[in-house]
Amino acid sequence: MGKIITNLPLPDKIAAEVDKLFKDDEHLVNLVGDLTLKRRYGSSVIVFGKKGLYYFGDIEAEPKYVPYADIKEATVKRMYGSAYFSVEKKDGKKQKLIRFTYAAASVAEACAEFINNIAENGYKEEYLYGIENTVFHLRSFCPKCGRKLPNPEAECINCKGKGKMISKFSGYAKPYTGKLIACMILSIFTTAMSLVPPYITGYMVDNVLPNKNLGMLYKTILILLCVYILQYTVTAFRSYLLRLTGDKIVFGLKKDIYEKAQFLPLSFYDKTSTGSVINRINSDTSAIQNFVLKVTQEAVVQLFTLVGILIIMLSLNWKLTLFSLVPIPIVAIIGKVFGKKIGPMYMRLWRRSSAISGLLTDTIPSVRIIKAFTNERAAVKNFDSYCDEWMKEDTKVSKITGIFPAAMTFLVTCGTLIIWFSGGNYIINGVNGFSIGLLVSFVSYASMFYNPVNFFANFSDTYRNTVASAEKILDILDAEPEHDFGQGNIPDRIEGKIEFKNVNFSFDRSKKVLSNINLSIEPGDVVGIVGTTGSGKSTLINLIMRYYDDYDGEILIDGQNLKDIDLKYYRQQIGFVQQEPMMFKDTIFNNIAYGADRVHPESVLRAADVANAHGFISRLPDGYDTVLGERGVGLSGGEKQRVSIARAVMKNPSILILDEATAAVDSETEKLIQEAIERLIRGRTTLMIAHRLSTLRKANKIVVVDKGEIIECGTPQELLAMKGKYYRLVEIQSMGEQLLAKKAAENFE
Amino acid sequence: MITYIDGPEIKITENDGIFIDAEFFHTGEKLTGLEVHRLFPMSGGNKYLVLLDEDGEQKAVIRNADNLMPESKKVVLRALDEYYMMPRITRITKMTEKFLIWMWSVETDRGPITFEIRNHLASVKPLYDGRVLIKDANDNRYEIPDLKKLDIKSQRLIGPKL
Repeated sequence: MGKIITNLPLPDKIAAEVDKLFKDDEHLVNLVGDLTLKRRYGSSVIVFGKKGLYYFGDIEAEPKYVPYADIKEATVKRMYGSAYFSVEKKDGKKQKLIRFTYAAASVAEACAEFINNIAENGYKEEYLYGIENTVFHLRSFCPKCGRKLPNPEAECINCKGKGKMISKFSGYAKPYTGKLIACMILSIFTTAMSLVPPYITGYMVDNVLPNKNLGMLYKTILILLCVYILQYTVTAFRSYLLRLTGDKIVFGLKKDIYEKAQFLPLSFYDKTSTGSVINRINSDTSAIQNFVLKVTQEAVVQLFTLVGILIIMLSLNWKLTLFSLVPIPIVAIIGKVFGKKIGPMYMRLWRRSSAISGLLTDTIPSVRIIKAFTNERAAVKNFDSYCDEWMKEDTKVSKITGIFPAAMTFLVTCGTLIIWFSGGNYIINGVNGFSIGLLVSFVSYASMFYNPVNFFANFSDTYRNTVASAEKILDILDAEPEHDFGQGNIPDRIEGKIEFKNVNFSFDRSKKVLSNINLSIEPGDVVGIVGTTGSGKSTLINLIMRYYDDYDGEILIDGQNLKDIDLKYYRQQIGFVQQEPMMFKDTIFNNIAYGADRVHPESVLRAADVANAHGFISRLPDGYDTVLGERGVGLSGGEKQRVSIARAVMKNPSILILDEATAAVDSETEKLIQEAIERLIRGRTTLMIAHRLSTLRKANKIVVVDKGEIIECGTPQELLAMKGKYYRLVEIQSMGEQLLAKKAAENFE
Repeated sequence: MITYIDGPEIKITENDGIFIDAEFFHTGEKLTGLEVHRLFPMSGGNKYLVLLDEDGEQKAVIRNADNLMPESKKVVLRALDEYYMMPRITRITKMTEKFLIWMWSVETDRGPITFEIRNHLASVKPLYDGRVLIKDANDNRYEIPDLKKLDIKSQRLIGPKL
């Protein structure tokens, strides 16, 4: 007996029963659901053999047997938040077997396909591969931390090495250890210098002023001046050095986040707004910088100050020192309570500010649309409501952060009052060895002593704020990048054969976007992909572009699994022309040569010429040096499209993908673009998505996609002869065109 | 064009679970095996319900289930209840984190469950009406109907995630 495939461990009670069930059959697969038929959380199970299945609607239910011979079709119905597995028997009766959440839905679908295959052709071992593959895919999680892995053998970037937050960020400070240590030494020096003046002041009060010794007064003042000059000169130099080091640390961090953001898969951006990514690169890195400097510099200095002053104070008068420590426990308790309260507040504040950034990145580039709809007022109102939310949260934070330092300072002042009270009593009662100078020095030291106490009490605030920022930065730094970028196989060349084998895909698990896609495209084929909006055409292209890796089944390029080919190399072999081409804020030359190193000007001219773009570019006053505005402002839609085709020509790709390349242009421009495309597609595997079927006249193969499935595939002639969906689409469009032509003729007359 | 149903011009009868049969009085059309879905699952309650045939083609939109004939309304609400599952969280018992992956243990109107949240920013959405929508790592949805009505411990646990 082979290994039993299972998505989850069988509940003990059912496991004991299952062993008894398979006497005349072989136990192959377990499908463990997490809902009862009444849709309460609990266990439900189907166990599959070679000849039939047993199902348990819930953990208490008796097993029921259904032989495959009785089954006409097995299906999984996905609903909202749950799904069920049902079978239609040959006598027409339908039966729901078990229910489950989306956690088990993909395995259940593979099981349904397994049964349907057996019902049709009898049992074959290869039918198990689909289930095996899906379970394997589900299990690609790191056993240690649970993070999803690109494949089951992959090393988890999260658990690799140190992996912890502090060590991760301290890594950025490591190259500057020397400078940070120098800053620390300078800080200790300035702190030591700051301990001198109170002592000298005490000396002046006790020895210089009562003796009316002018010479000594001038000397002590001169000494004080020297101490101050030295202290503040060193402080200035230290601040400069610290700023420089801090900036370098934050630069390293920002660079890494930006770099990581470039390599993150599209699925990350589907779930994360670009505004929030920008916020993380800008504000959160500064919070980390602040924290690293606070820990490596201020914390050390403040600790040194605290210990230094405590030693001096104890040596001056231990009793008075103990009196002055009375407020410390209260300060510490308040600090802790404050820390707990402020942490969640900072997190909420960050979310509000991130929402504002998101709104800005959304609306500012869309200012043309806002104006076109005269929606300026509504946009402002929307922005106001976001700001109001931020303001509400900020007010709460401000209240707390305002009250806390004031309360702390009040407590510190109370500590000084205790010293005045006790010290004053000592002097008035003439306690032996206690002078006015000593009291003055003591009060000065005590107020200096409370600074580090205050610092450590407030430290939790900075710490919480930093943890909130660090979590968000790690969300990017630790996110799984696009896999094996620069690490996979590099074939000599890509011929352009593309095969889809049983590919299923969904963005989230609630709805399948592509179902059971099987497709074979030969090198040099020109394939038109047609279908209504939302049918899954662009998703098909997204999978070929390998923007998403999270699909079931296989995509083969020249017979090799797409996931095994080096991603960087592979994308370099693909030319992609979109419906709305993206232009960068750069010269036309650089826009055409985008992504290429050391380009010869003539190759750019040739590419532009092939793309029918050279003509209009040469008429521009600045020619190829014309700087395009954001999103290519300054060029018409058709011109941008031709620049984008020229960009594809420059790449000399093996596979060419055209996504509605002529959808947004007039017929004159369409003709120019069509000419450019015809020159471009020669000798390359080309996939063209098109709504206007007339643009597919060069296609030797047509794929009709409907509701995520390929419903027709063949040469245009074959599909027309079939009189199916493609035939209807052609008919509708030609009727529309005839009508338009008639209207145009009438208007002309 | 959308065909709107205001109430008495349709008779809806039960078919099987989430499926219903409908008879349109004004056209005399009888359709079987229709599914009824909410056009506004988050905000619309029982208003604007779309009837879809087995190909997913829209047949009609019911403006408000409350205006249907009592029997029809009962069938529609039963089918909706069968189709939509968004457990209501009544208590949060535990939240643990390891390597930025959070496990929430909660009690819901459908029993206790533990689920995984990978990113609170993307998965936990507080709404202005006090509701909180949660989507776990498997894309299952949960709802907290009123944040303020949760017990203090649950509020304390979820507070930092909002």
